[in-house]
Amino acid sequence: MSAFSVDKWEKLFDNIGPFFQGFGVTLYIVLFALLMSLALGVVFGVMSASHNKILRGISRVYVEFFQNTPLLVQVFFLYNALPYMNINLSVKLIGILGVGVYHGAYMSEVVRTGIEAVPKGQEEAAISQGFGYTQIMKSIILPQALKIMLPPLTNIAANLIKNTSILAIIAGGDLMYQADSFASSTLAYGPAYLVVGIMYFIICFPLARLSGYLEKKFGEKPKPKDYTELLKSYKVGEEESK
Amino acid sequence: MRKKKVQISLLLAFVSFTAALAGCGNSPDDILNKKEVKVGVKNDIPNFGLMNIDTREFEGFEIDVAKEVCKKVFGDDVKVEFEAVTAKTRGPLLETGELDMDAATFTITDERKETYNFSQPYYTDHVKLMVKKSSGIDDFMGLDGKTIGVSQSATTEESLKEAAKEAGITLNFSEFSSYPEIKAALDSGRVDCFSVDGSILSGYLNDSLKLLPDEFSPQEYGIAMAKRNTKLAKEVDNVISDMKENGELDKLMEKWGLNQ
Amino acid sequence: MNEFMAALESVFTKSNLIYMFRGLGVTLYVALISVLLSMVFGTILALFRSYGNKFLKGFSIVYIELFRNTPNLLWVLAIRFMVRMPKPFDAPMYSGILSFTLFTSAVMAEIVRGGLNSVPKGQFEAAFSQGFNFPKTIVHIILPQCFKAIVPSMLSQVITVIKDTSFLAQVAIEEFFNNSKWVMSAQIDSTINQTMRVFIIFGFISVVYFVINFSLSCIVRSRKKRQTA
Repeated sequence: MSAFSVDKWEKLFDNIGPFFQGFGVTLYIVLFALLMSLALGVVFGVMSASHNKILRGISRVYVEFFQNTPLLVQVFFLYNALPYMNINLSVKLIGILGVGVYHGAYMSEVVRTGIEAVPKGQEEAAISQGFGYTQIMKSIILPQALKIMLPPLTNIAANLIKNTSILAIIAGGDLMYQADSFASSTLAYGPAYLVVGIMYFIICFPLARLSGYLEKKFGEKPKPKDYTELLKSYKVGEEESK
Repeated sequence: MRKKKVQISLLLAFVSFTAALAGCGNSPDDILNKKEVKVGVKNDIPNFGLMNIDTREFEGFEIDVAKEVCKKVFGDDVKVEFEAVTAKTRGPLLETGELDMDAATFTITDERKETYNFSQPYYTDHVKLMVKKSSGIDDFMGLDGKTIGVSQSATTEESLKEAAKEAGITLNFSEFSSYPEIKAALDSGRVDCFSVDGSILSGYLNDSLKLLPDEFSPQEYGIAMAKRNTKLAKEVDNVISDMKENGELDKLMEKWGLNQ
Repeated sequence: MNEFMAALESVFTKSNLIYMFRGLGVTLYVALISVLLSMVFGTILALFRSYGNKFLKGFSIVYIELFRNTPNLLWVLAIRFMVRMPKPFDAPMYSGILSFTLFTSAVMAEIVRGGLNSVPKGQFEAAFSQGFNFPKTIVHIILPQCFKAIVPSMLSQVITVIKDTSFLAQVAIEEFFNNSKWVMSAQIDSTINQTMRVFIIFGFISVVYFVINFSLSCIVRSRKKRQTA
């Protein structure tokens, strides 16, 4: 198989430096994009569950726009169109911004679903106790919603990690770019893509495991308490046998 | 941990298997018996390989050369199909066998000769530099510390790196997968200079851009074929040689205004 | 205003429009076929994973984990550059269809598995009590219910695939984004305001993608409303 010949592997290991550089860049972007998308997700998620029509509208526009247009188009816009307005963002910033805002839209939908899943009674009870809106959100609704939100959120996070590969297209210096650049100039496609695949796998797999674990933990339907002992003490079952 | 090891090894096996598909093909010399041939050409370079988006036909010097070569090697009744390629895709598609040959401003280098077969050169060009008129850059030295947009898989980066070393300046490079992207990056200011063979640049030149006077490393274009098709390579080489001798090549160059 | 009109005209010439919409045709074609094939393979994988023997289960898990933990772009590049498509599938777009199908099947498999889990276990028992054997149960009882439940997720995936076809521009497949980029960089005389051209084209690209995807997501939403009503 000429695609994986030995000399190609040699070339790869001679040039392994850029790969690790790219790995680092990818991790950096993943971290900040993740934080940004979580922050945006919470903010817009709360907004879209609010009673205020205007807030809901703004959030709706944000979500619909970023969910229905390709990430690549958004990133390309930031890269090639903004400079015409004299806004020159660094490539890494574009990565964080583009990927963060895009996934923020998905996260906000998950947050909204989580909030709406909390029984309305909670909010009403809290209002009757004199809680203010922000307090209600912070102390009562969000903590309960968290359980429901966590598994889908980790799913989106996994997608976020994979989508950072988009930077390869705007010469972003991330893992995918380095692999592509190396493969194009040395024609050692097989080894390059294989190694990069493994590196992405290393970043993503732990997250996927975490997601599965969370799904199991929070997805369990609450088991009914075992009341038989209690009932026995009230002598409920014994009546019938008499 | 064990599960992970198993999964990783299965991952490797799967990918190797997929790659094995790349190796499959007919015996190398069967290619000469083909009656339908696929040639990779450029679709965005006026006079060399340009797609007329109205007629959806490819037009250019390289298209004509390829047609002649195919007729002479495979017979007059051969059906030649052209496929658009970029510098990035033209090589691998030869290896997988999807294309039988490339006539796509493919520069012959020693390193490339290890992976592909080339005919003798049918055209010589040079690496050139294109900048905005408004950039104030007048020559190669003016690019010190600036960013140059190049195509992935092109010889440009290597040639420029060498020249920069000799001239004692430093250059930064941004690689892109196609020329329209580099042009967009130049227009938006993401790169200060668009560099590739002069013939390709001429297709993007307009009133607000200019070519710097410097030229680098002669770029000899050859017809590229997969390494395994040695017989085909010989035949194609002979045809090019004939075309040079009997003046056919010159006539085609004249037709497309490429006289050197 | 005149500048704007001039830029508009230079972008939306007949040839350019035909070229871009041709690309859109390729985009939709690739997306549609990939999704249909992925639904088939995804279902098979999900069935293997939930009801298969050790070997099938293992294969399915490895396949799904492999594709879910690596980027789509990687597969687009790897398959385009290393796999030869047999005739009659040797047009470049089929390589795109192959990589998308492989990748999306894994995602679909997880969606279907979620759907299978949501079908009450009692259905199996009821079916067996009526004399259905296992395969018949799956096909006639379980799968229909499963699919009904996952239609929203599936349509959401269709939207994602349509958006991801923009990656194919990287490997010189003439889909919508690729062709629009070509129009953006095509040689124009410098009297035309390049800034306006760029924004017009980006606006056009965004609008086209938005309209297509938004319509699909509206269909999902109206269906959801009808189901829960």
